[in-house]
Amino acid sequence: MANDLALMLPEIIVLLTAIAALVAEMLRQPRVAFFVSITGLAVATMLTLPLLGEQATAFSDTFRIDTLSIWAKLILLPATILSLLLVRAELGGSAREGTAYVLIIMITLASLIMAGAGDTMLLVLGILLAGLGSFALVAYPRTDAATEAAMKYFVFASVTAGVMIFGLTYWFGGTGSTLLSELVILEKSPALAAIGFIAVVIGLGYKAALVPFHFWAPDAYEGAPVSIAAYLSVIPKVGAIFALAQVVRDLPVESAWQWIIAAVAVLSMTYGYLAALGQQNVVRLLAYSSVAQAGYFLLGVIAVGSSPLAFESLIVFSAAYAAMNLGAFAIVMQVGRTLEAFKNTGRQFPMIGVAMVVFLISLAGIPPLAGFVGKFLLFGAAMEAGFTWLVVIAIINSVLSLAVYLRIVVPMYQPSENEVITTDTVTIPLVRQVWFAGLLLTVLIGLAAQFLLGSIS
Amino acid sequence: MLPIVSLTLFLPLLGAIVIMCHRNAAAEKVHKIGIITSALTLLGAIWMWVRGVADPDMAGKGFAQVEQIDWMPSIGAAYRVGVDGISLPLVLLTALLFLLTLIYSSKVRKQPQAFVVLMLILETAAIGTFTALDAILFYVFFEVSLVSMYFMIAGWGHEDRQRAAQMFFIYTLLGSLPLLLAILGLYLGGETHTFDMRVWIENPPLEGGAAMLALIAMLFTFAVKTPVFPFHTWLPAAHVQAPAAGSVILAGVMLKFGTYGLIRFALQMTPEAFREAGVVVLIFGVVAALYGAFAALAQTDLKRLIAYTSVNHMGYVIVGVAIAALTLDPEIRAIALDGSVLQMVSHGLVTGALFFLVGMLQDRAQTREMDQFGGLLKTVPLLGWSFVLAAFASLGLPGLAHFPAEFQIFLATLREEPWAVIVILGIVITAGLYLKAISQVFLGASNEKWKTMPDLDRRELLTLGPLLFFIIVLGIAPSWVLDVVHQTTIALAF
Repeated sequence: MANDLALMLPEIIVLLTAIAALVAEMLRQPRVAFFVSITGLAVATMLTLPLLGEQATAFSDTFRIDTLSIWAKLILLPATILSLLLVRAELGGSAREGTAYVLIIMITLASLIMAGAGDTMLLVLGILLAGLGSFALVAYPRTDAATEAAMKYFVFASVTAGVMIFGLTYWFGGTGSTLLSELVILEKSPALAAIGFIAVVIGLGYKAALVPFHFWAPDAYEGAPVSIAAYLSVIPKVGAIFALAQVVRDLPVESAWQWIIAAVAVLSMTYGYLAALGQQNVVRLLAYSSVAQAGYFLLGVIAVGSSPLAFESLIVFSAAYAAMNLGAFAIVMQVGRTLEAFKNTGRQFPMIGVAMVVFLISLAGIPPLAGFVGKFLLFGAAMEAGFTWLVVIAIINSVLSLAVYLRIVVPMYQPSENEVITTDTVTIPLVRQVWFAGLLLTVLIGLAAQFLLGSIS
Repeated sequence: MLPIVSLTLFLPLLGAIVIMCHRNAAAEKVHKIGIITSALTLLGAIWMWVRGVADPDMAGKGFAQVEQIDWMPSIGAAYRVGVDGISLPLVLLTALLFLLTLIYSSKVRKQPQAFVVLMLILETAAIGTFTALDAILFYVFFEVSLVSMYFMIAGWGHEDRQRAAQMFFIYTLLGSLPLLLAILGLYLGGETHTFDMRVWIENPPLEGGAAMLALIAMLFTFAVKTPVFPFHTWLPAAHVQAPAAGSVILAGVMLKFGTYGLIRFALQMTPEAFREAGVVVLIFGVVAALYGAFAALAQTDLKRLIAYTSVNHMGYVIVGVAIAALTLDPEIRAIALDGSVLQMVSHGLVTGALFFLVGMLQDRAQTREMDQFGGLLKTVPLLGWSFVLAAFASLGLPGLAHFPAEFQIFLATLREEPWAVIVILGIVITAGLYLKAISQVFLGASNEKWKTMPDLDRRELLTLGPLLFFIIVLGIAPSWVLDVVHQTTIALAF
């Protein structure tokens, strides 16, 4: 018991941070709530470091402390800190500022639970907890658009969670246990395994915004404050993807889970970028791009169990994705939500221009940036798993993605007709820090990926 | 030993960083830094040339001046650079062309900082592509060059630059991604998981169907890059819209990525598959050479015309490489490859000079339509005679740079696949089209409009002089380059 608690210390610290921030908010001290949140998350990150290399489970196998869950903490906790800075810059001073911090920390906790889940019930718990926080955050501005987006999000979540729990009962019936590690028993009843897995893909696919469970994403991101969209597009998504990896680790191959994942990956990548091609709103464009990126993640999931590169690629790409996506959203916060607003920014603010170009070409997977190393490893993992055709489709989509991201790059270097736009591009120090950190990480992960790779294996 | 390859490679990048640190420097100063940096880079390249490609201890497996540091040991990727007789001449050509381009561009006043920075990054990427001995490193440099060229065309191009730049970027990215696939295949297929290109060359990791698939992926990549008909459609658009400096680099340096990759990757890493597919590649080469010549014949825009002759000249290189793959006789293989490598160098010099000249004409007349000109030889004799010289070189006149290269390619072709010598028709057509161009632009009745056209100034002479000099030198005495190339090509065994 004591040992279990020690292994879960980072998660417990995150929980305590959320409670402390809530207390501070109730005392009407949003500043304190903010600093408590940042400090708590930083402490939790520090406390994760000693766990590196640990391979254990806690609370009778229900929670896993392994490479995936430890790296989920090392990536998601700092990413949450960056998101909090963005939220502070956007919502700071509004009436219920502190609640946003509390909700965000709770969602991060939920994502960490998903990423380390060793039991289907923990999986459900993670999804529901993350969902509850997300609806409230999306509805935060209390505008019509935000309320509608939250409502859509909520209905979608209820249905997918219902289907998922229904499907999980098949697994429970087949194995007599809620533990994921018991799934190997289903080797002889592949149909049962497949039904349960499809339900899990629906539940987690909704969280990770995979096609065809992505419909909420563009509306939710557009209705929500930009900083919340930035947060939602990274942390719960990575948590859900890692959860999927935890599930397939024990799933017998006979259930054809690889083919289900492959199909979802193809749909997500292709549909995500095709839909992004037509967007005029940069937030919606990035929303569809994040749908497509989730599809790329699945190339790593598919290789779990058949390629040693699987975990490495998932972790490196998560870190890369967090850095570049948060960075890109930070720039959107600073510049504006429409493509029109991006006109001429590259010439007027060279640093912003360079940063955004770096984020976008990194998202497109062009070397030597973080996105390239991540995708390269993902491709390698999927090829080693025997899914070369999937890599070919991913590669074709990378070309499409360049066309998508160039839609933002091109106006940045076009002269703007109305020079007025530039006046509302106020430089908010917090936002600048975030995209600067993102820029640094995007370049560093690209050039010094060995640092990550070395500590993973 | 001084790591001269790495120094040469990263010197331009250093120059770019220096310029970025001086954000408010005047345009002249920025250009001066750019020119000094690329001059030093050229010195570095000359130093590499002096050191040569003879490997003292044979540890480099065919490569000399190898320098390496661990980069991503977990997956077997490292920073590895070095040269052999195939890459060294191209490095020298690259360094020379970049220096001349920066001299020529010292008049650029539109965002000079960004321009020079992009140029220098492009120079590092180009030298890196030719010297990389690690597949990931090669791919990184290969792609970085795309990004810089995209911004070069989009930022400093002509009328329709945005569309051309996007087309160039997307098209060539589509082209280069299959290479990534092939690299991954070679990586996973090998016994030891490494990205060391020397290991792949020594022991081709793939065989049979897998090798053929990898070869097809690589051929696609390099066919787009070279470009080979029917994958050439990005080229005229990009060239016409690119600024003169961009065109020179694009044609002079970046097209060689395709043919260099064809030798380094396709020929050396999947030799068996290439031998099987050799005839198909040969046919593509012949078609490209003839198509390029015919398409050039139909152009009225001088820049487009030169762009299409590039398709023609690179077609000869493809023919040479295909012959080298098909033949079993090491002597014929060496002749074919010697010709191909020399052709790449000659093409860089000649087409570089031609694009500079068209740029100079356009600076003066704001048009590139051939029928707008006439009798310019009298008005601007220096410019005119330079063009005539470069054009004669381009059509393969003996005594000028292309002749020894094309002669060797045709010689090897005649000995291995005699039917393919019909490619020689391309020379006849290019001769015709250049004579037509010269007579339209430089001979005949002079157009009143251009009476006051100034002749070449000092900056322009400085740009063209070295190119014309080397065009003649290579034509008369090609052996100083060929000896270096031959050392490597004669030792190739597969």
